[in-house]
Amino acid sequence: MLGASPLWRQFLNTPWLQAIAMGLLAAILAFVLWTAAPATFTALDWTAYDLWLRHRTPIPVSPSLVIVTRDPASEEEFGTGPWDRAIPARLITAAHEAGASTIGIDHRLDQASPAQLGGAASDALLLEAMKTAGPVVVVQSSESPLAPDSAIFGHLLVSTDPDHVARTVPSMTTVNSRFVPAFGTSLFGLFQKQTAPAARPFSAEGETALLVNYVGNGVLSAFPTIPVSAVWDAIGHHDSNRLSEWFTGKIVVFLPSLATEESRLLPTGQTVSTSVVHVHLLNMLLTDAGIFRLGTTGRYTVTLLLAAVIAWFLLQFRGTISLLLAGTTIAIYGSLMLIALVAVHLVLPLALPLTAAAVVLIGTTIWSNLTAHQRLVLLEQDMLRLQQEAAAVREALVLRETRAETLQEDLAVARTAVTQSAGQQEELTKTTELLRSQLAEAQTQEEEARRKLEGLEQQLHSLRAATREPVTMDDVELDRLREECRQLGIITQDVGLLRLYRDLKKGAKSSLTVLLLGEPGTGKELFARAVHRLSPRNGKTFIAVNMAAISPELFESELFGHTKGSFTGAMAERRGYFELADHGTIFLDEIGDLRLDHQSKLLRVLQEKSFYRVGATIPTTVDVRIVAATNRDLQRGVSEGWFREDLYFRLTGLVFRLPPLRERTGDAPILADIFLTEIATQMGKPVPKLSNEALRALIEHEWKGNVRDLRHCLEQAVALSDRSLLTTESLRLGSEHVTLSAGRVKQSQILPDPASDAAVLHCLRRHSFDMQATAKTLGWDRSTVTQRLKGLCFQALVESGGDQANAAAAIADDPRHLRTVELKLMDYHKHLLSIIEPFASADEALLDCKRRFKNLPDRHFASVEVLVRQHFHRDPPDSIKRTKEFQPLHQTLNRK
Amino acid sequence: MALGELRGTVRRFPQSADDRLKLAQGLYRIGDLDAAVDECRATLRLMPDYAKAHLQLGVVLMAKQEWRAALKELKEATRLDPELTQAHYSLGTVYYTTGNLKAAVQSYRQALELQPHFPDARYRLALVLKLTDRAQEAAHLMEEAAQGGIPQAQYFLGHAYRTGQGVEKNLALSIHWWAKAAEFGHQQAAESLSQLRRQTLSNDRSDRRRREAIEAFRQYRDGLWKGFPDITPNGDGETLGTALLRLDREDYALSVLLQEAYALSDVAHAELVRLYQDGWENHLAPFDKTILTFFEVTAGEGFIPSKKALASIYGQGLGVTPDLKKANALLKGLPKQEMKAVLDDVAGH
Repeated sequence: MLGASPLWRQFLNTPWLQAIAMGLLAAILAFVLWTAAPATFTALDWTAYDLWLRHRTPIPVSPSLVIVTRDPASEEEFGTGPWDRAIPARLITAAHEAGASTIGIDHRLDQASPAQLGGAASDALLLEAMKTAGPVVVVQSSESPLAPDSAIFGHLLVSTDPDHVARTVPSMTTVNSRFVPAFGTSLFGLFQKQTAPAARPFSAEGETALLVNYVGNGVLSAFPTIPVSAVWDAIGHHDSNRLSEWFTGKIVVFLPSLATEESRLLPTGQTVSTSVVHVHLLNMLLTDAGIFRLGTTGRYTVTLLLAAVIAWFLLQFRGTISLLLAGTTIAIYGSLMLIALVAVHLVLPLALPLTAAAVVLIGTTIWSNLTAHQRLVLLEQDMLRLQQEAAAVREALVLRETRAETLQEDLAVARTAVTQSAGQQEELTKTTELLRSQLAEAQTQEEEARRKLEGLEQQLHSLRAATREPVTMDDVELDRLREECRQLGIITQDVGLLRLYRDLKKGAKSSLTVLLLGEPGTGKELFARAVHRLSPRNGKTFIAVNMAAISPELFESELFGHTKGSFTGAMAERRGYFELADHGTIFLDEIGDLRLDHQSKLLRVLQEKSFYRVGATIPTTVDVRIVAATNRDLQRGVSEGWFREDLYFRLTGLVFRLPPLRERTGDAPILADIFLTEIATQMGKPVPKLSNEALRALIEHEWKGNVRDLRHCLEQAVALSDRSLLTTESLRLGSEHVTLSAGRVKQSQILPDPASDAAVLHCLRRHSFDMQATAKTLGWDRSTVTQRLKGLCFQALVESGGDQANAAAAIADDPRHLRTVELKLMDYHKHLLSIIEPFASADEALLDCKRRFKNLPDRHFASVEVLVRQHFHRDPPDSIKRTKEFQPLHQTLNRK
Repeated sequence: MALGELRGTVRRFPQSADDRLKLAQGLYRIGDLDAAVDECRATLRLMPDYAKAHLQLGVVLMAKQEWRAALKELKEATRLDPELTQAHYSLGTVYYTTGNLKAAVQSYRQALELQPHFPDARYRLALVLKLTDRAQEAAHLMEEAAQGGIPQAQYFLGHAYRTGQGVEKNLALSIHWWAKAAEFGHQQAAESLSQLRRQTLSNDRSDRRRREAIEAFRQYRDGLWKGFPDITPNGDGETLGTALLRLDREDYALSVLLQEAYALSDVAHAELVRLYQDGWENHLAPFDKTILTFFEVTAGEGFIPSKKALASIYGQGLGVTPDLKKANALLKGLPKQEMKAVLDDVAGH
């Protein structure tokens, strides 16, 4: 469903996009968690801040701040209850006359004084004093019968966080639809206006709440306070010196209210009244020691960013590294938070990012597990598509190449004609020009196709690399894999094979069908057993069946079992391999050798997981994991019709191509060592050593039969040698085995001509029939290589009796090259036929051919002659006479 | 009538509402509020529509700070007898205390309508108007109340003249009213005056403001003549005080001299120094304490003639224990020559 959507594909392939999505989800989840447990999360969020506040060096107290507080002595004089307003009136007047810059008083004008406390006269006195002292900041109250112009109102509210700690003061509140700033802010604003009218007035705009930077541990005694009684005494004695010393140029805050006012718990653990919190706020503003914190948007952005970065690390890098990076990121953020707090007094969020990080850690793990398989499938799809494109381009290249060759030949013919016939010169020149331009065009197209092919191959290569190994493995992991392999009997040091093993290990956990491809002796059964051992089915039955070894008649009975008396000789009930392997794994070796009718029966089992025993009427259902293996090219089998396509698709759940021994660099010596020990122990001989030369020969030898071949060679050597040192001779690679490098030397002895057909063909195969590359290696002109291939193709055609497929197979040797060779061969043949078509007799045609194929070696021209004559005589293919002087191609080429 | 007698009357005539009310008033006067309430309630049980009893109960409840109950009783009293001025006046106070300033104004106005010569009601009304930002009307009423002899009103009026609230600024009138209030022993008025003198005598103030203050004090002194239209000054810088002294008006001479000297009159001051040292025939013995207090106060405020006089008094031990140290301390900050002159004078004696 989603797999088909290109958006989904894009998403799966873009780690940063996934990281952002993950970060977003984590931030939302963190928010939800916060909402669920606000007290816990708030406390966690402020942990660092509170700790810092408690343990840092105390901030200074502004020298401009003076606080006058109610004290026991003054209570003795004026009573312990609320005071007559005449008292603060006198205090305010005194402070004003002593030159106080700004005056604030923690007093609410919320009700008129009762007669006992001076009544209207005291109220008038206070208002009078306030009027004289200029604006005085008082505490806002909801109801206020006395609202003089000389009062600036400030609220004494303090916000309490969900963990019951007071850290902030709301910058504004609304009373009777009027904005009222905080008491501390009002005082500071007034002070600024008095002392520096030019300065920009303080505004807490944009800030809904101000974080309060507490002096010391937050109690009032941290400030310089003067008791009311002392001030009263100084006023009574007209002690203007003392008053001036206290008040001149300062902000005077009177706190005459009762200490029983509502109190708040501070981050420092102290409990103080709200007016004290506002005094701290005022001091913070005066000393410019503000603490800032990020707004809601900022906090969520930081959370999102951190979560996204961690998610990206976890998605981009796997294993311990990713955890390490994520941990480092969190640590860096922690340090950043502390630095921001200490250096610039910025409080960064803690609880949200940490929660989000934890969510991301869990989420990414789940996500990776969920999408790993899907990503693999997408990558395989991409690979298949690129493979198909590459094949198409390769075909086009072959055709263009051939076309260029043909045109070149035509050009040569035309040139000859020009020299022969002067009269036709003009016309021929035209033809030449035309041909030349066609040639040029064809060459350009060819170049273009080549470039495109190169590009595609590069893409495919990188994709393969990505599929095989998105992350490079480190030595530790390699060692671990190697050890695991060894325990499963797979001995290798080859990184490629180890990677394959690692993928197989991952794939084994699923119940997907596994198809193992590889030459004989590459260890298909070992890997099949490994799949079983590594799967959850380990401990259940593992049945290996060689499909090539089962007689066709007994196929069904063997695989599916039979009931008693279902056929002659069915004396008892018998359970088939599939039933035996119920809940376990069945290994179907040589699946490519299965007959078509058996293929359809097997397909049914794979599709429905059930089958009928021979003679049974009730189906038997089994739960079996299928592992199949073959050394044949099943894809070609599908295209050629000898393998069912639907079965092929059923089998290709997970496909692993086991590399041949020659590609497993460095494995031969280890295997040789182990084999020698095993063989010698079996034979009861001392373990022989390999000479350096012998070892090199082993390494360089192209083991057709792979590991099995190597073991046989060593068994033979151990059996036939009495010496404790095995030399190159005792390996006997020379007579039957042709090593790659030594082969060349020996070949030159057998075939003195280095340009022999065998050598050329070998070179062509090595270069996947790329004419240009082959020509470069051989140091020849490209057309010479073409001529040689053409000759070989004709020879193969003759030998196969005109069967193009067989002929192509003989030349290609490797199924991968088959299509290329087939195309070339068909084209050469078609060209030949087009040349000889206009002629009436074979001899005439041959004469023209002689002229046209003058570059073709004579031995190959014999093949041309046979083909031409065959064409004219229309002889049945099986009656083609083999020319005596031919050395049969398969003999020449397959000596190896 | 003594409380015992009242109790006896009530015992004898338990059904007499008037007697019970009198007892209640007596109890209220001695401060037994609970008993007063009981007695009022007993009166009202006998005569539920007795407006004066309601008024008394309201007043007692006011003293007990039971504002709501007081309000109810006072309202009932005004309903029963709309012409009960005292009830309207008390109602105004209750309204004010409960924050209903508008109603308070209304009640005080009604009280004044019923009894135009009621300076206390005038003062209360003026205060409430002042608190509700009706400065002009407040100042007007305050002036009337001040003229009616309410020292608080005089103080506030002085303040109004000082700051120009509702009236034209007039520092001389301000001094006039403060002095009047201070005469009645109004502490804040005395303090305000003292403050003004300090400002006048201090060097911190700007010259203009000092000159203004000095001029205001002079105007105030001149204004004092108006109180004695029968006396005319004979020139030579004679002040009202010295004129009264000359005319042997022992009833006013000293108090007017003190008023003038408090208003920074050098002439009056010199006269006082003389009176302190020598006394005034039979009217005043030497070393008068009132005059000494005047010297002490004004010297503390920075009035240099007082400082010199006081230094001289302490130096010579005129009516006080001789204390040269104090004398020296008083002269501190004075120009050397003046200091020397005073000290020489002290030594000469």
